[in-house]
Amino acid sequence: MPFPNVRLSNRPLHFIYLCDCSGSMAAQGKMQALNQAIRQSLPGMAEVARENPEARVLVRALRFADRADWHVQEPTPVQQLQWRDLEAGGITAMGEALERLAGVLQSPPMEERALPPVLVLISDGQPTDDFETGLATLMRQPWAQKAVRLAIALGHDADLEVLQQFIGPEPPGGGRSPRRPLQASNATSLARYIQWASTAVVGAASMPASRVQEQGDSNVNIPLPDLPPTLLDPTDDVGPLVW
Amino acid sequence: MVSSAWLAPRACSVIGAAHRRQGKPCQDASLTAQLTGQGGQTLQLLAVADGHGSSRSWLSDRGSALACREAERAVAEVLAVTPLEDTTAWETWLASGLAAAVQRRWREAIAADWKQRKPNPPGPLEPVTYGCTLGLVLLAPRWWGCTGLGDWDLVAVTEKGSASLVSEEPSLGPQASGEATASLCLPEGPALWGPRAQLHPLAAQPQLRALVLSTDGVRKSCASDADFLALCGQVIALRSPQELEEGLAQITRQGSGDDVSLAMALRQRPPSRRWPLAAALLLAGATTLAVVGLVRRPTAPPADPVLVQQRALCADPSRIRANLTPRRAQLQQLRRDPSLAAQLLAAPQNDPLGALLARSQRGSLNPCPALEQQLMALWRDAGGKMPAAAQRSNERPPAGDRPAAPGSR
Repeated sequence: MPFPNVRLSNRPLHFIYLCDCSGSMAAQGKMQALNQAIRQSLPGMAEVARENPEARVLVRALRFADRADWHVQEPTPVQQLQWRDLEAGGITAMGEALERLAGVLQSPPMEERALPPVLVLISDGQPTDDFETGLATLMRQPWAQKAVRLAIALGHDADLEVLQQFIGPEPPGGGRSPRRPLQASNATSLARYIQWASTAVVGAASMPASRVQEQGDSNVNIPLPDLPPTLLDPTDDVGPLVW
Repeated sequence: MVSSAWLAPRACSVIGAAHRRQGKPCQDASLTAQLTGQGGQTLQLLAVADGHGSSRSWLSDRGSALACREAERAVAEVLAVTPLEDTTAWETWLASGLAAAVQRRWREAIAADWKQRKPNPPGPLEPVTYGCTLGLVLLAPRWWGCTGLGDWDLVAVTEKGSASLVSEEPSLGPQASGEATASLCLPEGPALWGPRAQLHPLAAQPQLRALVLSTDGVRKSCASDADFLALCGQVIALRSPQELEEGLAQITRQGSGDDVSLAMALRQRPPSRRWPLAAALLLAGATTLAVVGLVRRPTAPPADPVLVQQRALCADPSRIRANLTPRRAQLQQLRRDPSLAAQLLAAPQNDPLGALLARSQRGSLNPCPALEQQLMALWRDAGGKMPAAAQRSNERPPAGDRPAAPGSR
């Protein structure tokens, strides 16, 4: 007898950028650097997806300035993604962005078999709307709770506190950790963080590895890979402090 | 003496496509065993274990193999002192005693394994190094039971081929992280067995045909729960171990890439005493009518997946809680956004249980009392209320949709 004929499927891995497009992003080439970093990361991300065929890597991007809106609305296979440049202008409706994000992390449309999504919030400033309500709406979604939430702070004006709230509780002790906002101070370090999130993190999130639910580790949804070197490490050489 | 109630127990574990590619071992293990107790009483055992794949659990392939081995020994110990007729004692064993025994044995086994490793590993043993889940099914001549912890699934298949989830891992709470599961390595492990423990007299389940136990890699490889249940309903017809192994390899290759394990047993069909004469007469009659063109076969309408799900739950109310509890989050979403119900109802075959919840929200469900009670509790917990139309006592389903009253079977 032939083996049962049922629909088998690899598991979707949703990777969603949340990009600050406020007016300040136009300064000092930040927006240009972000566009370039994302565009340059795509081939590496596609390679990771090719190496992990059990995960179907689908990319989306949400932009927020005066309002939050989808920049890449359809979950797009990374191999097919053509990155269109984001443009800066307006204020920082980060709370609205989180509410929009919450809308797509419901089941449905989220697939019951999906892997924990990867959410990357990138900002250079402070929210100008009701961030708390937006975050609360987002975190009511089980898929948001299960997600790997990362944040990249561009420059020293970024509000590290709200980015930390998005990620979750800060890990104990000091030092660098993907459970803290990643601070990019120039185009090179931004590119490294984007590359890391879109390859190393995607690779880790693609692994079919169940893990034990231990008390006190509720915010480490997958074992995160080591961070790339940055300017904060004196042994690194990633260019000048610009932002 | 061989248990006559169960046939052809078999188990198979296949390395995941991802692990094969990465040069990692298969971290799943499975077994079937026939154990003999007092007076030659026979108990069959199905076991599956799934080692955690993270780098912290780098010996979880050993952990899962030891879990199956120690579970077999622990069950054999219980069988030596507990008659199979004493179902009360077995229920207690499944809920707590066996948990403590297996966990103790497993910890001793991994400690011994750790000590024997060459070269000597650095530092003291951390149980998470061997961490794994464990699912057990016990098949006695007059009952079956299950217990364990972790993200394994158990499916019951009826004589008519319909399949339903008997046990799945309950939600670990709103803070549970992505692919997290309970584990033998957790200090609170034994307490996590209780909610998975069940015991069912076979006399109360005349329609039960087979039980299919699997690690999470199988379910996660299927496009939907409906596909997973269909798979379980069909896989019991496989006769050759090679077919099963090849099929599992296909599942992991085209699905989750995870290691996959499946253990199953078929229930012995009682011999039909009236078959030869009655069947021969029926067959002869039908053939004659067909030849003269008088037999018209009406095309049966496709079964309503929600009704099938409802009937399966109502036929065995002990399954209702296990199936509904993990759906709390979905219920809360339905409450917050009633338009989600339309999506679930548009394709009920993709998620029959979700569609059942949607119907309960719309008041277009006529559940049996046990299901109705559980649904009402679930809606109440979600901060809502099940619409009155679904609670009307004068619109009960036909008797066949309701569980039989105690003593009526």
